[in-house]
Amino acid sequence: MMIKEVITVILLVVGCFFFLAGTLGVLRFPDLFSRLHALTKADNLGLGFIAAAMALHIGSPWAALKIFSIWFFTLLASSTSCYLIARFQKEKDQPTDRKEVE
Amino acid sequence: MDIIFIIVVVFLLLNIALGLFRVWRGPTVADRLLTTQLFGTTGMAILLVLAGYLKDLNLLNVAITFNVLAILLVIGLVQVWKKKKGESP
Amino acid sequence: MSVLIDIILAILAIYLAFQSLLAKRLTQTVFIFFAFGLALALAWVRLGAIDVAITEAAIAAGFMGVLFLDALRDFSPRTSNNQEKTEAAKDIFSKKNTKSLLLPRVALVLGLVLFLLISLEAIWNIPDGGGLTVSVETMLPESGVEHPVTAVLLNFRAYDTWLEIGVILLGLLAIFATGGIKLYLKPDVPAQDILLRQVILFFTPILFLFGAFLLYIGKSGPGGAFQAGVLWAAIGILLHLGGKPVFSMIPRWLGQLLLTLGLGFFLLLGFILMAGGATLFEYPPAYAGVLILIVETLAAISIAAALTAIFANLNQMQEKPNDIESTT
Repeated sequence: MMIKEVITVILLVVGCFFFLAGTLGVLRFPDLFSRLHALTKADNLGLGFIAAAMALHIGSPWAALKIFSIWFFTLLASSTSCYLIARFQKEKDQPTDRKEVE
Repeated sequence: MDIIFIIVVVFLLLNIALGLFRVWRGPTVADRLLTTQLFGTTGMAILLVLAGYLKDLNLLNVAITFNVLAILLVIGLVQVWKKKKGESP
Repeated sequence: MSVLIDIILAILAIYLAFQSLLAKRLTQTVFIFFAFGLALALAWVRLGAIDVAITEAAIAAGFMGVLFLDALRDFSPRTSNNQEKTEAAKDIFSKKNTKSLLLPRVALVLGLVLFLLISLEAIWNIPDGGGLTVSVETMLPESGVEHPVTAVLLNFRAYDTWLEIGVILLGLLAIFATGGIKLYLKPDVPAQDILLRQVILFFTPILFLFGAFLLYIGKSGPGGAFQAGVLWAAIGILLHLGGKPVFSMIPRWLGQLLLTLGLGFFLLLGFILMAGGATLFEYPPAYAGVLILIVETLAAISIAAALTAIFANLNQMQEKPNDIESTT
């Protein structure tokens, strides 16, 4: 019982660290692409750690399945939106870039 | 145990408040959209922690809704604003 | 100790509300408004109103967000290169005119004081015994559902819900009226980007399933017709953005049927019940659960169709001149 709580706390702290890293990246990085990198990678890792902590804390398999499917969808949505925003910004900077390639 | 959850939620909320400065500074629309993404992901984390703290699994449904609207806003921005290119080449 | 969370959330929500009114640039306003919607959703969660939180997140930040982004494109200058310059010019312009803002500020402060007085009065006069909770709890077994919110929305106060569905339909009719008769364009070319297409295809069934899940769980927990309707509307909006506008791909009569299904069936049910000797929406307790589920499903379909049609029409309105140009 004790070990479970300790693991939960450790996972939460690690998740919070990655969230802080993501926020600092969004604030401090010089251009959009680096900011995207910081946000969509670090934050999702942090969310994964917090999801693991909560799955452990709640302890029912059904809830754990639901939490991990949430995390999976978030990974999917977040990486796709990272790509979409980056491509949007790139095409905005260079309007006639990859029209023919597609 | 509960006090740790509260500290984590407060920390994540402060995280959001800090990240919102990008709305003022961010030069382009895409930069400002990033804060919505930040709010979406961090808000999901807050909801997960609250779900553990309040022992209420219905909060997970709210978390899925946050996820859905984050991707909806990104696709909305990309697709709606891309057509502008075609109007004024 | 958990008061700390509430205090930070309250400060964040009020601050964001003020900033979304007072921010200088239009883009700032819009994105602060999204953040405000999400903060408000978290606040509703803290207040224990999870139904409202889902609706708030889905409508205020999701649906309104897409509409705002669409409107923002029309307000932003046509040539995107000059965007920063014009925004900077707008800043100088607004700084020069601060004196003329004196009157609105006085009005804002007066309104705020009035609002504070009214809310203080409302807090002071909270009725003892928890309002109507007790009477809802006693009537709950007869309503056919286990969740008090759903019982109130679809059984005890079904008349209000019926009118709310009607309001959404009326909004759509107003957009039809201002947008002219030529409503549905031909299907666009599908989205060029293969990853975008795949993610829309991947999210469509998930959104459908999740909406159906929320609809079904509305019987016993937070969820229901409006939440499911908004999530299904997200499918329609995603398909529209991906170049497959739903309403121009299905026959016109089917679209009209989908739009009016919820309102019509609700009204028909009410009249049939009245013919049976009851009042307008007084379900017989034996069939109440089934009837509520049917009504909720049809209402969710109608809400989804109406929201999708609102977005589709607003998104196509400014494309019309462009369309005419390309055809002539």
